[in-house]
Amino acid sequence: VKKIFLILWFAAAAGSWSHAQTNTNTVLQMPREPTRIDSDRADFDIAGHKAIYRGNVRVNDPQMKLTCAQLVADLPQPGERMNHIVAETNVAIDFVQEKNQTNHATSDQAVYLYNVQKGVTNETVTFTGHAKIETAQGWLTGEPIIWNRVNNSLTARNQKMIYRQTTTNAAAVNTNRVSAPK
Amino acid sequence: MEFFRGALFPMKIKLNNAGLILSVLVALFFCGPRGWSQPNGVKHASDFTSVEYFAAPHQQQIKSRLSGAEAQPQAGGLLVIKQLKLETFTMDGKAEFIVEAPECVYDTQKNAANSSGHLQLRTGDGKFHVAGEGFLWRQNDSFLTISNQVRTVIETGPAEKTGL
Repeated sequence: VKKIFLILWFAAAAGSWSHAQTNTNTVLQMPREPTRIDSDRADFDIAGHKAIYRGNVRVNDPQMKLTCAQLVADLPQPGERMNHIVAETNVAIDFVQEKNQTNHATSDQAVYLYNVQKGVTNETVTFTGHAKIETAQGWLTGEPIIWNRVNNSLTARNQKMIYRQTTTNAAAVNTNRVSAPK
Repeated sequence: MEFFRGALFPMKIKLNNAGLILSVLVALFFCGPRGWSQPNGVKHASDFTSVEYFAAPHQQQIKSRLSGAEAQPQAGGLLVIKQLKLETFTMDGKAEFIVEAPECVYDTQKNAANSSGHLQLRTGDGKFHVAGEGFLWRQNDSFLTISNQVRTVIETGPAEKTGL
């Protein structure tokens, strides 16, 4: 039964992510707002190409908002983009899906990786340490939870899903009906 | 008040870091080529530029360029620099980082600059821009600390996603 819950939940989530990706592709045709990072203080290792933001770190991006206590980013080479960012301590990320559905992710650490290998783009955010994602359907925990930003999918090891009892999502309602004890 | 005018650039001073370049700058105040040494006078440089080159075999490539509108020597090997601009370059000549500050104090003994004022840092391609209030720049290990109100703006192309 638990397996069915997860399959149904991921099916619902995958549908949402697919729509989100469609919307994202539409947005990508338009001029994009820059990403802003604010913090109390910061260290820049110019030779080592590393930036360390400390204290009340806030990242404001058109696709998500992040807060944490410390954020370490590899500074890009000229003409390149950031490809490795580590957010640590009290990490919280809000990202909006279709129909203004906001997902809220929390963890001790979140690692962003971007690379292109043999023409294939890999872009992931890996949540570890008390990782939890709250969606309209419920709460997903796992260790780790990996958010694949290329296809907007979520995968998790040792995952556990807790469903909301009051939801208007059809898939989730059906799921609840299946899970409800007779 | 005497002025030490004229840019040091393009003098090819092959030194290890900009701190040493500034040390030379200080030395020039007191032992300048025209014998302008006036121990009792107040001297400063204006519109100065100095460059640092990569080590051999890339000794023809500029590693960093330091410029300022004014440099005022202070006691204890300190220099008050106005309109500081530090540019670093990659080995293939691309602008890497540009650091600008309206005013700072440079310690020629510690090879470090600091200020309670404003500072801006940006990458050569202009896609990464940082501003803040109060900073410490350690030249020896190329380490910059911004103490307050750090604001970073990352520009991305219309077809790109951002990082986190």
